[in-house]
Amino acid sequence: MFHVSFRYIFGIPPLILVLLPVASSDCDINGKDGGAYQNVLMVSIDHLDNMINFDSNCLNNEPNFFKKHSCDDNKEASFLNRAARRLKQFLKMNISDDFKIHLSTVSQGTLTLLNCTSKGKGRKPPSLGEAQPTKNLEENRYLKEQKKQNDLCFLKILLQKIKTCWNKILRGITEH
Amino acid sequence: MTLLSTALGMLFYLLQAVSGESGYAENGDFDDAELDDYSFSCYSQLEVDGLQHLLTCTFDDSDINSTNLEFEICGALLDVDCLNFNKLQERYFLKTKKFLLIGDSKICVKLEKKNLTCRKMNIVKIVKPEAPFDVRVVYREGANDFVVTFNTSHLQKKYVKVLIHEVAYRQEKNENNWMRVNLTSTKLTLLQRKLQPNAMYEIKVRSIPYANYFEGFWSEWSPSFHFRTPETNGTGETDPVLLTISILSFFSVALMVTLACVLWKKRIKPVVWPSLPDHKKTLEQLCKKPKKNLNVSFNPESFLDCQIHKVDGIQARDEAEGFLQDPLPPELEESEKQRLRGGMQGPSWPSEQAGLTPKIFRGESPFRCLAGNASVCDAPALPSSRSPNGREGGKARPLVYQDLLLGPGTINSSLPPPFPFQPGILTLNPVAQGQPILTSLGSSQEEAYVTMSSFYQNQ
Repeated sequence: MFHVSFRYIFGIPPLILVLLPVASSDCDINGKDGGAYQNVLMVSIDHLDNMINFDSNCLNNEPNFFKKHSCDDNKEASFLNRAARRLKQFLKMNISDDFKIHLSTVSQGTLTLLNCTSKGKGRKPPSLGEAQPTKNLEENRYLKEQKKQNDLCFLKILLQKIKTCWNKILRGITEH
Repeated sequence: MTLLSTALGMLFYLLQAVSGESGYAENGDFDDAELDDYSFSCYSQLEVDGLQHLLTCTFDDSDINSTNLEFEICGALLDVDCLNFNKLQERYFLKTKKFLLIGDSKICVKLEKKNLTCRKMNIVKIVKPEAPFDVRVVYREGANDFVVTFNTSHLQKKYVKVLIHEVAYRQEKNENNWMRVNLTSTKLTLLQRKLQPNAMYEIKVRSIPYANYFEGFWSEWSPSFHFRTPETNGTGETDPVLLTISILSFFSVALMVTLACVLWKKRIKPVVWPSLPDHKKTLEQLCKKPKKNLNVSFNPESFLDCQIHKVDGIQARDEAEGFLQDPLPPELEESEKQRLRGGMQGPSWPSEQAGLTPKIFRGESPFRCLAGNASVCDAPALPSSRSPNGREGGKARPLVYQDLLLGPGTINSSLPPPFPFQPGILTLNPVAQGQPILTSLGSSQEEAYVTMSSFYQNQ
């Protein structure tokens, strides 16, 4: 009997401790009154959305990112965390300074409000894709433009998703 | 015992050493008594130039030697960890787009890369708006008020859009007696009755963030605007010309109403609603009442006392002629009335009557009536008498005319002058007994002719 209780005492609790982070959220949402989102993040998201509307015509192809990650219940913070990190990649694009400022505001502001513990820190974020060397410059230029269009479309959809997820979080907070 | 005392001594020494150490404050900041002089204050201005924000810090002690002192901000920045301030005279400022506007930042005073003092600040909680400008005051005469308008650059900004504005105004001679009004819009209405008339006023505006997410300090005052209130206080006073006209109109209307009431019966009603004339009454009114106890009436019964002599002019002449030729007079003709309408006979008549044989009235006068019936009896419609000699066939007949024009002076007169009877009067109409009929007159007597006009002439 003693070896059986010894197993339960010293075996199960560590197992629980190991499995607990998997089940629990690693983000603590700050600014739950919605002031930071409405007065800062939403300003930048709307500004970016207006700028993208001028430049691109998006197709209704949903990128793979959204098939893997979505703003499901109890996963809003996780989705926003991933979405905010993905936004940082767009800073490498050839975009204006104001565009970058607003993009950084949304990304970093979201991460600041979420206050998530870093998870998978060492994981390299997937790249947006680079133009492959082709036979001639014209094709390369065309592919670059096409890539840019695709990236902007993805960005537009991503911003909409972020906005929707934030509204969901704040609505849920006000209802409770 | 020795060991014990040694241990206690060491213990006390350690306690003293620990308590004497300085440099730790309750909040964990590295504050020192000497570092209190480096206290500073900061304020932020957002979107001063596009997306660029401005952060300004100054020492509270203006006498401090700020040489080699620097300011640094860390945290809540975009894509960077820390930023250094720029120095301009005694002020330190930082103009950048890299403020995250979410979360706290730490601002430190550094001396050669050593932090002297730090303070945790939130950029969005130390916002100082830009001062309003373009303050205008317009007087509306119809509404008797002043419309105050001003402008602010925050209307076009994205972040700090909602502000509370404070409008302060005072009469220039009353220093430090400012009236203050808070509003969120850029338009204010001041009632004229709340201001002194014919006075000079000064007005200015400042702003502060509306405490929603952004907080901070009052902005600088806008440039003052001066205006003068009109002389008369609009409410309660009316135009003197208008007042005079209203008073005159009122009195005119009152006078008209009074006159209408007074003159209604005598003047206005007969014109507006004339009554049908009553001939008898009219004649009675026209005839003066000469005396008392005069019974003026056209009732034939009232003439019973009078001797009425009907004279038929034509028949009378014929009969008169016949009488002269024939003692018995003929009947009077019906045309005597026409004769009566004829004119007065002149003196020819008496000459024509010269050959008449007068029928003498036995002292009777057809016009002699009772005293009470004098006026009536004196104005009979006498038929014309015929010429006894008959030579006046077509000529004017002898008529009796008596002037019945009784003026006011004749009221008291007794009887009118007696009819100028002549001895040669001829009785022409023996119609009724007791009715002496006047026939012809003497040749030398003037003729009396009674007409209806004489009634109108009686007063």
